[in-house]
Amino acid sequence: MIKVNNLYHSYNKDGKFAVKDVSFEVKDGEIFGFLGPSGAGKSTTQNILTGLLQLQKGDVTVAGYDIKKISNKMFNKIGMSFEESNVYSKMTAKENLDFYRKLFDVETREPEELLKLVGLRDKANVRAGEFSKGMKHRLTFARSMINNPSLWFLDEPTTGLDPAIASEIKDIIKAENKKGVTIFLTTHNMYIADELCERVAFIVDGEIKLIDSPKNLKLQYGDKLVEVEYIKDGEPNKETLSTIQEDDIKYLQDIIGKYEVQTMHTKEATLEEIFIKVTGRGLV
Amino acid sequence: MIKKIGTLFLRDLKVNKRDFLAMYIIIFPVLFALGINLLAPSINDTTVNLALIEGENPDQVTYLEDFARVEMFKDVEAVEKRVAKRDNIIGVLPDGDDYYVLQQGNEAEGVVDFAKLLVTFYEQDVQLENTNAEIIELGRTVPPLKKLLVNIAILFTSVLGGMLIALNIVEDKVDRTIRAIHLSPVSRKAYILGKSVIGVLLPIYGTAVLVWITGFNDINVGQMMVIVLVSTILSLLVGLIEGLNNDDVINAAANIKILFLPMAAAIVAVELLGDKWQKFFYWIPFYWAYKGNDAVLAGGATWQQILLYSVIVLGLSSVVYVYLAPKIRKGLE
Ligand SMILES: Nc1ncnc2c1ncn2[C@@H]1O[C@H](COP(=O)(O)OP(=O)(O)O)[C@@H](O)[C@H]1O
Ligand SMILES: [Mg+2]
Repeated sequence: MIKVNNLYHSYNKDGKFAVKDVSFEVKDGEIFGFLGPSGAGKSTTQNILTGLLQLQKGDVTVAGYDIKKISNKMFNKIGMSFEESNVYSKMTAKENLDFYRKLFDVETREPEELLKLVGLRDKANVRAGEFSKGMKHRLTFARSMINNPSLWFLDEPTTGLDPAIASEIKDIIKAENKKGVTIFLTTHNMYIADELCERVAFIVDGEIKLIDSPKNLKLQYGDKLVEVEYIKDGEPNKETLSTIQEDDIKYLQDIIGKYEVQTMHTKEATLEEIFIKVTGRGLV
Repeated sequence: MIKKIGTLFLRDLKVNKRDFLAMYIIIFPVLFALGINLLAPSINDTTVNLALIEGENPDQVTYLEDFARVEMFKDVEAVEKRVAKRDNIIGVLPDGDDYYVLQQGNEAEGVVDFAKLLVTFYEQDVQLENTNAEIIELGRTVPPLKKLLVNIAILFTSVLGGMLIALNIVEDKVDRTIRAIHLSPVSRKAYILGKSVIGVLLPIYGTAVLVWITGFNDINVGQMMVIVLVSTILSLLVGLIEGLNNDDVINAAANIKILFLPMAAAIVAVELLGDKWQKFFYWIPFYWAYKGNDAVLAGGATWQQILLYSVIVLGLSSVVYVYLAPKIRKGLE
């Protein structure tokens, strides 16, 4: 669905690259994640793929179209939810969607249905200018699905949303993917990447450090950890210990021998811990 | 493509109806036209209309037609009936060898005097060449103040059309919705055209309203359209440029206001300056638009004249376009 080879981008064409020699491929029907800290070049890459930024160097094919000679028809097939919401503040939620759907040549979804999906049904006739940030974000998100895209770009889809809404958005993403929609998602939130993505690319300073599935990464990089809760001198204690490192193993044996263990379970390394290990950088 | 241009235009119109400034721009021609009517008497009030009896004195009719609008009626009674109507029409009726002037009483004083003068002139056999310019002016042309105001209002309207375009583009930038439109199957060209429609329609509608309310009913509509359309092109360019280069409404409006300067200069040049100064204003498109409007409003503009002015405005606009096109393209990214 997406093929990128040796992509470079410099905003000021000054030899300073926001994206450097990036290559990857997104298969039909998968959720592919770009995981990296803020400023890593995720949005830049996404904006080149959608034609918002002019391609400077590299080969990019999106949904069968060569980005060098973009055809307007391509946009019937793709949808994009922006990191910063962008809706007409002088129009109501429904008017925003009614207007946008008319710009497409393909069958579009009913605005009411989409508003209901993102929990804005009661606000259909309220001007977007009166919306909270989260509501605008949901409207932007809803709009990105209006043309039934087969390739869906999501730039930080849950950032800044409260947890209940973020979880609803995640469910919608999963449901759309089940219907066969290919999803390219950028985020600096490792939970999202872990939960949604079949494969993730770690990106730092405009460069991809590795691409793999979260599961493989955990098998490969994650030390098996054990979380143990026990009572010591009448006080509850909690430790997270490695099952590989010698010291930790000894300590664990000590605990089991000397104290009353309450709970003990294995714990996988998080994607963030792996990210730090691979890139030497945190996710914020 | 046409459908999408329409969609973009209708959205702009819908939002503009909710915006005070945009709404003001839209009703401006009506307000201005009403203002002109208050300030300057209507054309019918000062054009001298005469009612005569058909076949009674064809010689006199031919003579009077040179100075006034003449209507023919079959007898004295019909003339009296016509004069009794509300507007300014004066009967010229035979009284033995002489003629007398029949008035209703509500006619403007100057008009009655003028009618009397004409009848006397005919009796004295004063020829057109002998009369002085002032009289011809009163009899045949529209009052200059009114024509001037309508002309200025028409130019204003085309600049305001540009302002409206800029407002709508700036909205797309402030709300960042322009990016969403770029991610729909709407080409940049369709976007530009869609945004331009309102800037073309406003001057057309504005001119029609102005001309109609102020009572210029006899002008050549085709010629007027050509002039207005052509002068709109420049406003379109300016509207697009200011819209694409400014990130807020205040700046865009401020930059467009600068346009009023060359516009005012052009008007002053045509109205007040002598022939030898005219050439210094040839570069201003408004100069030619103003001259074109003036000729059409005065009646009797030739198509050659109108086409010449149009070609000049088009040419000047093209120069502006060539200069600005790269900026427009850049502003869209
Ligand atoms: N319009 C721009 N002009 C110049 N530099 C930019 C622009 N947008 C982003 N950048 C720079 O490019 C780099 C990558 O930014 P971005 O792609 O937005 O990162 P991310 O989406 O991963 O947070 C950052 O260093 C950022 O400062
Ligand atoms: Mg980003």
